[in-house]
Amino acid sequence: MPGVSFEHVTKRFGDVTIVEEFDLEVADGELLVLVGGSGSGKSTILRMVAGLESVSSGIIRIGERDITPLAPRDRDVAMVFQDYALYPHLTVRENLSLGLRLRRVAKPDVARRVAWASEMLGIAALLERRPKELSGGQRQRVAMGRAMVREPLAFLFDEPLSNLDAGLRAQMRIEIGSLQRRLRTTTIYVTHDQVEAMTLGDRIVVLSEGRIQQVGAPIDLYRAPANRFVAGFIGSPPMNFIGGRLEGDGDGGRFVADGVSLGLPRALAAATPATSPVALGIRPEDLRLEAPTDAGGDAAGGRLAGRVVLVERLGGSSHVHVDVGTHRLLVAVTDERVPSVGQTVDLMVPAPKIHLFAADGRVVSAD
Amino acid sequence: MRRLAKVGLYVLLVGAAVTFIYPFLWMASSTLKPPMEVGSLALWPAHPTLENYRIMWGRAPFGRALLNSMLVAGTVTASVLVFGSVTAYAMARLTFPGRRMLNLATMAVLLVPGQLTLIPLYTLVVQLGWIDSYAALIVPYLFNATAILMLRQFFLQIPQSLVDSARMDGMSELRILFTIFWPLAKPALAIVAIFTFMGSWNEVLWPLLVVRDQHLMTLPQLLTVFSLGGGAGTLGVSLAAAMVLVVPVVLAYAFLQRYFIESMAGAGVKG
Repeated sequence: MPGVSFEHVTKRFGDVTIVEEFDLEVADGELLVLVGGSGSGKSTILRMVAGLESVSSGIIRIGERDITPLAPRDRDVAMVFQDYALYPHLTVRENLSLGLRLRRVAKPDVARRVAWASEMLGIAALLERRPKELSGGQRQRVAMGRAMVREPLAFLFDEPLSNLDAGLRAQMRIEIGSLQRRLRTTTIYVTHDQVEAMTLGDRIVVLSEGRIQQVGAPIDLYRAPANRFVAGFIGSPPMNFIGGRLEGDGDGGRFVADGVSLGLPRALAAATPATSPVALGIRPEDLRLEAPTDAGGDAAGGRLAGRVVLVERLGGSSHVHVDVGTHRLLVAVTDERVPSVGQTVDLMVPAPKIHLFAADGRVVSAD
Repeated sequence: MRRLAKVGLYVLLVGAAVTFIYPFLWMASSTLKPPMEVGSLALWPAHPTLENYRIMWGRAPFGRALLNSMLVAGTVTASVLVFGSVTAYAMARLTFPGRRMLNLATMAVLLVPGQLTLIPLYTLVVQLGWIDSYAALIVPYLFNATAILMLRQFFLQIPQSLVDSARMDGMSELRILFTIFWPLAKPALAIVAIFTFMGSWNEVLWPLLVVRDQHLMTLPQLLTVFSLGGGAGTLGVSLAAAMVLVVPVVLAYAFLQRYFIESMAGAGVKG
């Protein structure tokens, strides 16, 4: 299976640039997730690969072949749509086989592929039904089956799970993942849901306003976000941000904001010019709640005094919202014991978990 | 009390239904009455006879007129459906320069009353030498702006992803229209078909202008000429001719009724 490569791909609608200078190599057999908010250009990129949108400039290749000028049917890619796009007046079997029949695949071959895909997806019993007689999950499987029987060079998924309820979404996510690992077909998967991105992707591309913010393995994006946008987008619940400034002292540096004073690792502090405005980021799961003490934040990182304003119990874990000065921080707690609203608490901030972002949003890294 | 109200309601509805259906039934039965009986209001002829039909058929070429009408209305309906949906598909789903103008122009056509274009159209037909030909009866009606706009509106409701998916499956635009859109747009196509067919079938004014040869006349035209010209002689014969005119429309309606009601009922409900 060949990979997909983008070379300086740009898409404009009139004066508006939707995708700008998109450069990327999707490896052979890789599952690449494009993630971003609405208007980030992720679906447009997918539709350009499918041939459903023209490319304003740049080249898209599958393997060595330039597919940019080709019609959708000549590209040998298959797409799974958000609303499934099953033909309502055809049975499941007809839906699965139509693309093959249009390509004049031999009848026994069509039957074999339909049987193979429907067996694999557990929809063999539904072949004579029409889409409206199927549940959301079953329709989704048929839509995937329709892509599979084509045995295309690449799969394109356009937010395939967003019409499903939460439970089904989790289940289908697992199925798509395992299916892709079995078939090893190069896949581009578009979603706005960072959980889907994290769990499914071999690599994730975070997009904002038509530009790549960061490309990397899910865990790398989580651990070392390249900028504030990625930091806020990847991870659930999202990272806490506190706007403030740096102050030098003998030890290295301190991050100071209203009600907040935290020691920074020396290397991190040294990387930023003092006095420039910065934002400190800390993930909710990296914060620890403790009973208040008088001990100050002496070493790197430190301790913040706050007051609990809201507790959301999720069962296995809880989200505790704490006001520190004028800042509200979210703490993810797995402990059974959760402070009550109004209680004063201390937040432990481990220094290695601190992310620092410059005024332009770029991360300040120690190296 | 509630029961009484219900009974009252039914009486009212039955009364209304009778008011609508009675004249039609009377007409139907009167065609089977001898001349002496036609004046009565009874629905059942005392001495049923097919004499009226025999006289009618003998005096003017009604059989030929029936075929003419079928040919004209059938061709016009087929054309309006095919060309109308092709145009509507382009307007709803393709991007091309001038699409907006085409929309506006189609809309503008609706604003011009047919009577206004009658004279220029007539002059054109004369210039083309089409007087006394099927072309004069058919060609001016091959396209219909109302049908285009109705179908376009319906096509716009079909999800774009179906079009995308079909394109990726390898279908041409025409194939998408006829194998995906047509089956999904059956109610809209049915309503367009029946309105077009009825409109064409009942048209009298235009055929009167462009056809003078009795053998090319459509049924309503011949009927008008026949009745007004005194060819019928008796009321019974006139009614028999009218009956021949009405039956095909009733049949067409019965045939398409399901879609017709579906689209009327669906018109006010958001999909």
